[in-house]
Amino acid sequence: MHAAQILVNAVVLGCLYACIAIGFSLVWGVLNVINLIHGSFIVLGAYLAFGLYNALHISPWYSIAVAAPLFFVLGYLLQRLLLNRVITAPVLVTLTMTFGLDLILNNAMIYFFKADYRKLTLTPSLGSVSIFDVVVPVDRLIATVAALALTGLLYLLLRRSRVGRAIVAVRLDRDAAVLMGVDVKSIYAIAFGLGAALAGCAGVLMALIFPISPLTSSGYLGKAFVVCVLGGLGSVSGALAGGLLLALVEGIGSTFFGPAHATTLSFILLIIFLILRPQGLLGRKGFE
Amino acid sequence: MNKSWVFRYARLAVPLWAAVVACVASNASAEDVIRFGAPLPITGPLAPEAIKQQQGYDLWAEEANKAGGISVGGKKYKVEIVYADYQSNTPRAVQATEQMITQGNVNFMFGAFGSGAAKAASTVSEKYKVPTLAATASSVQVYDQGYKYLFGTFTPNDTLTTPLTQIIKAKVPEVKKVAILARNDLFPLAIAQEMEKSAKANGFDLVYFEKYAIGTLDHSAALSQIKSLAPQWIFVTGYINDLLLVRKQMVDQEMKAPVVTMIAGPAYQEFIESGGKTAENITSASWWHPAERYDGKDIFGSTENFVKLFKAKYKSEPDYGQASAALCGALFQMAIEKAGSLDRDKVRDELARLDAVTFFGPVRFGANGQINSLDPPVFQIQGAKPVVLFPEAIKQGDLKVGVN
Repeated sequence: MHAAQILVNAVVLGCLYACIAIGFSLVWGVLNVINLIHGSFIVLGAYLAFGLYNALHISPWYSIAVAAPLFFVLGYLLQRLLLNRVITAPVLVTLTMTFGLDLILNNAMIYFFKADYRKLTLTPSLGSVSIFDVVVPVDRLIATVAALALTGLLYLLLRRSRVGRAIVAVRLDRDAAVLMGVDVKSIYAIAFGLGAALAGCAGVLMALIFPISPLTSSGYLGKAFVVCVLGGLGSVSGALAGGLLLALVEGIGSTFFGPAHATTLSFILLIIFLILRPQGLLGRKGFE
Repeated sequence: MNKSWVFRYARLAVPLWAAVVACVASNASAEDVIRFGAPLPITGPLAPEAIKQQQGYDLWAEEANKAGGISVGGKKYKVEIVYADYQSNTPRAVQATEQMITQGNVNFMFGAFGSGAAKAASTVSEKYKVPTLAATASSVQVYDQGYKYLFGTFTPNDTLTTPLTQIIKAKVPEVKKVAILARNDLFPLAIAQEMEKSAKANGFDLVYFEKYAIGTLDHSAALSQIKSLAPQWIFVTGYINDLLLVRKQMVDQEMKAPVVTMIAGPAYQEFIESGGKTAENITSASWWHPAERYDGKDIFGSTENFVKLFKAKYKSEPDYGQASAALCGALFQMAIEKAGSLDRDKVRDELARLDAVTFFGPVRFGANGQINSLDPPVFQIQGAKPVVLFPEAIKQGDLKVGVN
């Protein structure tokens, strides 16, 4: 039964990891930008949920509907006004720019919200469900379903919508997309906006589970990075596969080698993947 | 022509003269100020702890300056605290300390945050023979280096775990199995190791002892394992974010135990506020508590007065970190005034000789520089408030069994 509990914990956590990473993967895959501001977007989303719940009693489930458009606009404008100016520069330039933007946003959050840890506590608490002695907290379960729903929505958007097909076209071959009449600048901004929206929504969901502080942004960014490398870039299913694999390795590693070694194991796995399968579980080889 | 030369010289001379006057004035004012260096992790993961320490120092500086400053041989000197942010990076704490001493013209130093950084930075202040008061370093390893200029206001870690173990053994005889989960960091791990020794010495069965990495986002696997072992006492160490996360995930997994102890988060008001009902009946221990009642000879006088001043300035209840930082300032003031000089060796000797009651409790340093005169309080969160269980002199209530 203990093994079943560990497996269930890992699946739930894996979906949350996928939710953290999906926007990061999209931006990296389409724009070739390693978006270091992603972790701070997640934390800002968590503060939004915290603020709306405590000040206006708006449930975090509704806050997703506020976060998605708000962060989309924020990401869209950021890309259009700043990142777009250096988008064709080598990856180090965009990396440095997002690093700088992250410093500004993170320090602004420390200034306005302070570095104290806060917790969004729902009243009444949602409790847990227990099936054959395997316990699953309801908030995590709902967050998992929401994470899967967001992932599914992005998948549908990329597959079925005209904008989604344009994003995929730009990802596959930028020059060919230009020749086909795709407005690449606009698609870049939409992709960045979508990445920011997904980060904001992930933040709302994370607020239910983890303590909120600007200092947690690097933790989210690190997880997103590992999930993308394991699962493969620019692929929705890749982020899900990477998240599940990471959570499983951490869960099993923690049980057999102790929790102190769980992170070490996940990074060993990262190195193995970088050497043997750099395209990740579901990524396409050779794609930059 | 002559007039124009005079005019030209005058134009040059006026700003020059002003600069000389300003320089002389600044030197004069520099002489009337005592500068205290405070390297702190103002940014980075330890920033919340640094802010607390800073509040303690600032409160002391404000009170000292309000009273005219520190009296040295009949002359009053204003207090100035020079802060340096070492970004939660211990090697930078060492650099910041060296810069403050060699370039920042500080007279005395406060230690860096926590045992690890305080130990590392103390090598520099010892080299330059600068008296240093560490406000938040408890591990004996900080003080066993044979240093003469380092003093600390936290008693050794076992003074927290031993009374706690004895209380649980006496009051909850059904507790047999203990599980310990510790943050893999100098202070939280040292506390956990002391707890391990204390538990074994008192005949408890230690069923689980594991460390978790700094920055761990999810504890569910470790907690599932602890749950399967059914311990009656769960002991977790870490800082406030770790402990809030562990407590939330314990509730998620429906973990219950007669006794749950967490060090060091519950001493902070944020833990009680953020934890809500889940914080109830959690036991903890810290080096100071606002419920203490001492009539001190320091600038703050009584514990009540310190708490009143703190609340007026920061609109919140002080915790042990803030109180210890303020105490360090007050102790420097006492030692400097007694020495009647700013000579570092004389002030060092006065600190070593110090034997006085303060708002924090009686202060006397051992031969190694660590305080040895305090009984740190054990407390439990009851009704959203910390209730002191030990020492007897300031006891506010009895231990309640059962954490759901």
